[in-house]
Amino acid sequence: MNGWTGHILRVDLTKKTYKKESFTEEWARKWVGGRGFAAKILYDELKPGVDPLGPDNKFIVALGPIAGIPAPNTGKAVVAGKSPMTGGYGDGNLGTRVAEHLRKAGYDALIVEGRADRPTMLAIEDDKVEFLPADEVWGKGTYETNDWIYAKYGKGVGVLNIGQGGENMVRYAVVRSLEGRAGGRTGMGAVMGSKRLKAVVVKGTKPIPQADPAGMKKTGTGDLREVHRIDKESGWSIQSTNGVLAWCNEVAALPVRNFRKTHHPDAWKVDGERLNDARIATYGCPNCTMRCGITIHDDEGRESELDYENIALLGPNLEIFDLPEVGSLNYLCDDYGIDTMSGGCVLSFYADAIDQGAVAGDYRFGDAAASKKLLGMIARREKPLGDLLAEGTMRAARAYGKGTEAYAMQVKGLEVAAYNCKFIPGMALAFGVSPIGAHHKESWVITFELKSTSRESYGPEKAQKVIDLQRIRGGLFEFIVSCRFPWVEVGWGLENYPKYFNLVSGLDWTLDDFWTVSDRIYALIKLFWLREYPQTDRKLDYPPAVWFDPSNADTEGPIAGQILEYDKYDGLLQHYYDIRGYDRRGIPTRSTLDKLGLAEEARAAEKFGSLT
Amino acid sequence: MRITVKLIGPFIRAFGFSEKDMDVPPGTTADGLLGVLAVDRSRPKIVTRNGRAIAPGEELQAGDRVVISPIYSGG
Repeated sequence: MNGWTGHILRVDLTKKTYKKESFTEEWARKWVGGRGFAAKILYDELKPGVDPLGPDNKFIVALGPIAGIPAPNTGKAVVAGKSPMTGGYGDGNLGTRVAEHLRKAGYDALIVEGRADRPTMLAIEDDKVEFLPADEVWGKGTYETNDWIYAKYGKGVGVLNIGQGGENMVRYAVVRSLEGRAGGRTGMGAVMGSKRLKAVVVKGTKPIPQADPAGMKKTGTGDLREVHRIDKESGWSIQSTNGVLAWCNEVAALPVRNFRKTHHPDAWKVDGERLNDARIATYGCPNCTMRCGITIHDDEGRESELDYENIALLGPNLEIFDLPEVGSLNYLCDDYGIDTMSGGCVLSFYADAIDQGAVAGDYRFGDAAASKKLLGMIARREKPLGDLLAEGTMRAARAYGKGTEAYAMQVKGLEVAAYNCKFIPGMALAFGVSPIGAHHKESWVITFELKSTSRESYGPEKAQKVIDLQRIRGGLFEFIVSCRFPWVEVGWGLENYPKYFNLVSGLDWTLDDFWTVSDRIYALIKLFWLREYPQTDRKLDYPPAVWFDPSNADTEGPIAGQILEYDKYDGLLQHYYDIRGYDRRGIPTRSTLDKLGLAEEARAAEKFGSLT
Repeated sequence: MRITVKLIGPFIRAFGFSEKDMDVPPGTTADGLLGVLAVDRSRPKIVTRNGRAIAPGEELQAGDRVVISPIYSGG
């Protein structure tokens, strides 16, 4: 088999055992890798109803067929498990040298089961697997843990680790790698912590099986240079992702004051120009030639790497407009290993709840010092406040009641990313139907929506575009496991990806083959949700209620007086289901499942929920 | 008539300013403004007026705030 190593490493932390398992080429072609492998393994192996933070959940690291091979932005891995945030399928991706090293050690995926009896670091070096004590860094942040690992193994190894947030099972704890990357905002750091797995370190030295290694090397290295050239010519990385902040502010899409407002006169203070002015370093993932990370000094002199999502949600959304202060909040989230987006939304929710009189407290929007303190209380789960906010906005709102659920900015339990959709129906749909909760990585439809359609429209063209983007972003880039930025930000052609895939696998796939795999994975994830929530209905795919509340409409600016409408949104959702071949609950029909080759998986789902 | 032009991201480097007031003849369209600024027509972009997308042939009005941005794609 070329393109895949053909092996998965399965580790049991309870028994301290491991085994190398094989998979067939037929299985590999059906699921390709990354999210495809993770979703299939979790669907087959997890009993519905399992506690996401118990030993029966599994932590998966899954790679794609071009991982570890020099080509544009292939240094990424998917981390997955049942999500502590949503109770459904959860995953995320992050830049890490683990992508290359795990493949060179001979594996396309790692499955971690059970729970260690003490803090543990899993060390994988080719065929050798060790369970090493990690008590020395238990209770430490991700930066110190990373240094501790580098001191033992050198800087060239692949590392995944967690901070205090993961250890204490903050539900939105992430997995961290290198000095500035994080992934798995669906709570994958908490899953690691629940297993007392402080870190994974990987070193691999074997060749990765490829059909045409010389052709791939020539193509991949040439393309890396070309992406670099295009990026420099376009100027994208001058402001990187934070170029979008000023634009969102102009078009009334910026989250301000827990998404109550869509723009702010002080937003320029934290925009891409100011970020570039404050830049002290640029940061990227392995195999990246258009590095997106912009590092600044925070207000305590520490180096903090920022991008749009964390600036928007830890800045304007909290009404904090001082870049070093935002950098400080970002640094703390990174060091504690908690998600910057959910962290920002949790703080803004708490400030809003106080503002609305639903909760008593001193915390206010704009208070950076208090925000820092709260993040620490959350990471340590200090009772009662830190412990409650560590649960995320959905659960905190359930505890508070008094109407707070309406402005807990989440879908399916996962907080929304940094686009204020109070009058952007297509982007609201993209958050609504994201298969892991409200994540922007699945389908970013906002520019298409504002440029090529009427903002007022709830027509099928928006549902179709959401699906088109899901197939690429949540599909292709998540199962071939490569960063989407070359395509999405500097126009690197999608046709390059079947080219890379065919060079390593020896197959002759087209983009259409990829779209079928994308649809299959999305449908399987829906079945995962059905098994967990047999009484599921379309309301699970609705965005936060405050986006439909006329009293929350802007009073001035581009969308003054306008707000999403329930009936129209529901119609847009139905367009999405119709195009996808899903029923009125948002579950794939039998016919759709058959077409996607999921008859066996459908039978497994029917033991728990009905199909139409 | 006087309008305000705001550039986003890489356009700032390309044209040497971030935001400025400009005097343009009455009847100037969005596309005409791109011509005045010598913006590469082939480069993907989104132009908004007062926060809403504007078609190339639409005439600008005095006091308009026009934003010219590359097509961001959400990271």
